Amino acid sequence: MKQCIACGMPMERPSDFAMADPSKDYCVHCARPDGSMQSYDEKAASMAAFLTKTQGFDPSAALASAKAMMARLPAWQGRA
Amino acid sequence: MSRREQKSQTRSLILQAALRLYARTGIGATRSSEVADEAGCAHGTVFLHFRSQEELLAAVIEDFGMRIAARLHELATRGAGLRSVLEAHLQGLAENEDFYARLVSESPTLPRQARITLTMIQSTISQHFEEALAAMSTAGPRPALHLMFNTWIGLIHHYVVNRDSFAPGQSVLLQKGPELLDFYVGLIGHAAGRGES
Repeated sequence: MKQCIACGMPMERPSDFAMADPSKDYCVHCARPDGSMQSYDEKAASMAAFLTKTQGFDPSAALASAKAMMARLPAWQGRA
Repeated sequence: MSRREQKSQTRSLILQAALRLYARTGIGATRSSEVADEAGCAHGTVFLHFRSQEELLAAVIEDFGMRIAARLHELATRGAGLRSVLEAHLQGLAENEDFYARLVSESPTLPRQARITLTMIQSTISQHFEEALAAMSTAGPRPALHLMFNTWIGLIHHYVVNRDSFAPGQSVLLQKGPELLDFYVGLIGHAAGRGES
């Protein structure tokens, strides 16, 4: 099973992939409306917003956690 | 068995061995040499699969958490309802309750990588809560997702950390789980303006 290179989400169904295209290495949540992959800053912001929404984290703590998580993912090697 | 399958099997054995030891003796007290002995492999083999003890711990948390999250995801996406999702959450935690109790108790002192992994797992589970909540018809505005999720997690963690007082010698999640589930579902129903059965 593929994992999104940008957020780590497991991708099983075609709808999990960007543009519903299983050949893509990133998921639907990491794609811009035109299908391209979000930038580092865009992904960090959206992941931080996810942590705030789901667990109520302080925004700055959420951003730090998001960047620490992204540092382990293939798409962002050497960025954080 | 191919070389790749063998490697995957060894990795899995190391993860299972580490989880058992973390549960038995504590996360901070477990040494990588003990994990190797428990898994029946050489000490160096552990580091062929995991670059450090921190990476091994994060992998154990991810493996444990994602198995639970996958079950909740499957239930939520087929419209199983909040109660079924919460039951599956309790069941998944109860299967490795000793480990989860260590994880919750030691969380503030764990390495950052482990804490970040746990954070992402909890957010993923919270997201599946929301999917289940979306299937509930409600009369009024619903409280914020993070408050509903944190209330549930806070309740569970209090019982897990103090399980010696709530269910001595037993699984507190199996013993008290149905009571907590009934209470929480009722609470959520009231908060959302209706009673959910």
